[in-house]
Order: sequence, then structure tokens, then C-alpha cells
Amino acid sequence: MSLVEVTGLRKSYGPKEVLSGIDLRVEAGEIVGILGPNGSGKTTTVECIGGLRAPDGGTISVDGIDPQANERALRKILGMQLQEARLPAKITAAEAIDLFASFYPDPEPTAVLLERLGVVTQRNERFENLSGGQQQRLSVALALVGRPRVAILDELTTGLDPAARREIWTYLGQLRDAGTTFLLVTHSMEEAQHLCDRVYILAGGRFVRSGSPQELSSAMGTQVMSFLPSSSVDLDLLRSVAGVHAAHADESRIVIDGDDTALQSVLSLLSARGVTISGLSITTPTLEDAYLAATRRVG
Amino acid sequence: MGATTALLENEVRLLRRSPAVVIWSVVLPLAALLVMMAIPGARMSLPMLGGLSVLEAYQPTLVVFVATLLALQMMPMFLGSYRESGFLRRLRATPAHPANLLTAIVLMVLAVILAVGLLILFLPLVVGVGDPRPLALAALVLIACAITFLALGTFLASILPNPRVASGVGAAIAAVMWFFAGMWYPRAQFPDWLSNVADWTPGGAAATLLTNAAHGAELGWQPFVCLTAWTVVGLLVSVRTFRWE
Repeated sequence: MSLVEVTGLRKSYGPKEVLSGIDLRVEAGEIVGILGPNGSGKTTTVECIGGLRAPDGGTISVDGIDPQANERALRKILGMQLQEARLPAKITAAEAIDLFASFYPDPEPTAVLLERLGVVTQRNERFENLSGGQQQRLSVALALVGRPRVAILDELTTGLDPAARREIWTYLGQLRDAGTTFLLVTHSMEEAQHLCDRVYILAGGRFVRSGSPQELSSAMGTQVMSFLPSSSVDLDLLRSVAGVHAAHADESRIVIDGDDTALQSVLSLLSARGVTISGLSITTPTLEDAYLAATRRVG
Repeated sequence: MGATTALLENEVRLLRRSPAVVIWSVVLPLAALLVMMAIPGARMSLPMLGGLSVLEAYQPTLVVFVATLLALQMMPMFLGSYRESGFLRRLRATPAHPANLLTAIVLMVLAVILAVGLLILFLPLVVGVGDPRPLALAALVLIACAITFLALGTFLASILPNPRVASGVGAAIAAVMWFFAGMWYPRAQFPDWLSNVADWTPGGAAATLLTNAAHGAELGWQPFVCLTAWTVVGLLVSVRTFRWE
């Protein structure tokens, strides 16, 4: 059985159905991301899993716990970072972590979290005086202070500078290696690509794609290569090469769509004909391409 | 350490960082008391006050001032702010339930009301005003009054949508309570009809009970019925309508 298992989850707000029966699995020690357009139900999904919203239908199990039936047990193993949850204005960063630490039997030391999340110099700053990024880092610290078995992080690096994002990703990677399981909501393709073992793409109330970031981007198929040949090249000849899907001339450049075997074949053919190339450019499909293709189809 | 204890410690720390709340609910009423204690004329009994001195007449009024300011204005404002900011919801995602925070805030407000209330009741003994013998009973009455105002405070926190409305509505209701407790016009001078109305308000009933208790007079059942009724109404509405989010 997976550590987090969701089957047929449905949720509506009034007449609007946000989730139309989604299935999701997270194995122990995985980092799984949920991607999707604004309003697609990502936060609703994780809040149902985290027991903060009651689903209209379907089943949810977190380490064998039904969040609606046994919230007390769930809170002991689950850490959550919520969007738009602010702390009291006059509490300091260290006091906030100490306070949340007091809710758990074996918390992570406050000094470790301040250090790892890069707020050690703001430890005595009041929440109201922290920058948006510092508040965000503190919010992640509060989700992790109880050494949760599963952590749900909703837009964990929104508003952070690139260096801070990398530091948090490194820390989460280390926690994952130590056994923590993560479910992330993110808008950042870079974050999903860098951090997630698997991602689910949510659109129109359903998961329209799932898999590792590599699988999803590879499934887009073609990579695009373009180059300047030293002499004219027969496009039909190029189109006949194995792995090439299309070829055309763009002014003096040749542009070829093909799979990842096409590049070697084309280069071999040109070399055999004494044609050299310059200005080679190769564009491979990204997770963002896969995401846009999947969500465009639905939206 | 339990979650409620940790949250209580935190709320006390945050209260100390809120000078406006401390000044209005602790410093100003005690300063007013000390000024009256220092003025000889304020310690003399006056027929127009039913034989009480100005100081004695204003003791229950000041207690009602402190209790209503904290319970009816500040507490709904704190809770409304925590609800609006998502802090109550954030606590729900931990092993500590937001009810722990509600308990911590109620206990803190109760403690401040009792501490300041007891000082208001007992300090005038230093200048020879008041009788120390019935003051233990007055302290018990103070607890009963504080519980009523706290129940009404949670009632307001339940029905008012945000901290700004809570602060405004709480302040307005507190001011009405101050009037019925005799802040702007001595209660001994109230016409009968106004006196009857005042007796059924929490402010009026609390002031009557505190005055009678402090002077060893018969307490009577009516003020207790009044406070109990308001407490029950406040708690029932709170339990049914209080929203964590």
C-alpha cells in the first residue's frame, strides 16, 4: 500500500465541481508534485489529503489514516505548509518555531531549522518585519519542525530568490533521503523538474498527465535541431533519415524535428556527403512544454 | 509542556508587546483609581451617591471598564485577527487544535481582569476606604462577572466577521456597559425606569453585585439571574456559530 493513497476524490464548491474523481499515490520516500493552472484544484486536493477539507466523495489514506475519521492521528505524522496563513505580527521567528515545536514529541531543534532555512540572522525579528521570502521560509520551517513522516508544502518557494530556492531544495532532498515523503503544490516547472520524483498535472478537475518529469517531457517526442550547412542540402534526403519527422529551411538554416536518434543519423549522413555544419542548436522538450500541451488540451 | 500552556505563554508575551492594550486596560484604570485615592474629597461619603464616596462609587465602574474593554473589545479583536490571518487554520494543521488557542486567550484575559479587578477593589484599603471583611466575597463576584463578559466576548467573536468590525462593535457595546455601570452618570441618580433597565444589563448587574459585595450588603438573586442568563446566551451562540476559518 502506498503511503498516501487517494481514490476517486471528488469535491465541489456550490455548483462548481473542482475535483471530478482523482486518483493519486505517493510512495514512502518520494517527492511528488501537483502542477496545474490557477483554480484547478491543487490546493483543494492537498487540503483534503491534509484533513482541512472534507471531500464529497472518494477515499483518502495517509499511512493508513483516514484524515476525516482520525484527524488527531494524522496531525502526528503530517506537516503542512498552507498558502496565506500568517502568524501573529509580533512573534519572532525563533519564538514561532519554538511554539510549534512544543506541539510535537520529538521536534527538530529550532537552531537547525533557522540555519537550514536561512533565517538564522532573522531569529529575533518579528514576523511583521520579515520580508515575504523570509516569512515563506519560516512557514516551511513550521511545517517541518515536527519531523513529519509526510509533509505537504503548498507553493513552498513562491517569492524566494533563486539562491534561497536552491538551499531549500537541497534541504528537502536531504530530508527525503532520510525518509520524509513530500507532496508539493507548485507553479514552478524548474522546481518540479529539479525536486520531484513524479508529478501529476491537474486540469479540468482531473489528472491529465502523471509520471516523472523526464517521462513527461520525453513523451512530447520531438527535439528541434537547426544548423547552417556548408553547402546546399536536399531536404527530402534529410526527411528520409530514420528518426526525422520533418525538415525545412529557414533562410539559410536547416531546421529538423526528430526524436533523440535523429541527430546522430543526420550528422553521419551530412559527414558522408562532405557537408560540414556550424551554429548547431538543439532544443529538447521540457516539462513546461508537456504541461502546456496537457493543460491547453483541457482548457 | 501542553499546547495550551505554550500558547498561553505566547499570548502573554504578545500582550506585553501590545502597549495600547496594556495602557487602556491596566494603566489607565489603575491611574484613575490612584488619582481618586489621592483626592481627599473623593474619599468622603456623599448623600447623592447613596452614602458612598466617589472612590467607592467608581470602583465597580472601573472593574466593569477593565472587564468589558478586555473581554468585549480586545478578545474578539484578537480572535478575529487570528481567524482572518489564517493562524487558527494553521494551528488546525498541527497537533494543537485552535481550541487550545481560544482557551489560552480566555485564560489570559480572565487573569488580567482578575488581577486588575482585585487591585481596584483592594488598593483603596491603603487610604482607609472600604471594608476588608467582605472583599473575599467581592472577589468571587468579580470572577462571576468576568465569566459573563468573557462569554459575551466569545459571542461577539463568533458573529462578527473581522477584527476591525469586532473592535468597533466591541467598543460600542463596552461603552454602553460603562454607562449602565455608572461611568458618566452616578447609578444612584438613575431614574427608576433606567435603573430597572440597567439591572438587566451585564454592566449594570455586575456593578450592582460588586458594590453590594464590597459593602457587605445583601447580594440578591436578580443580578445573578441576569449574569447567568447573559452567560448562557453568550456560550450557546458561541458554541453554535464560532468559526475557526
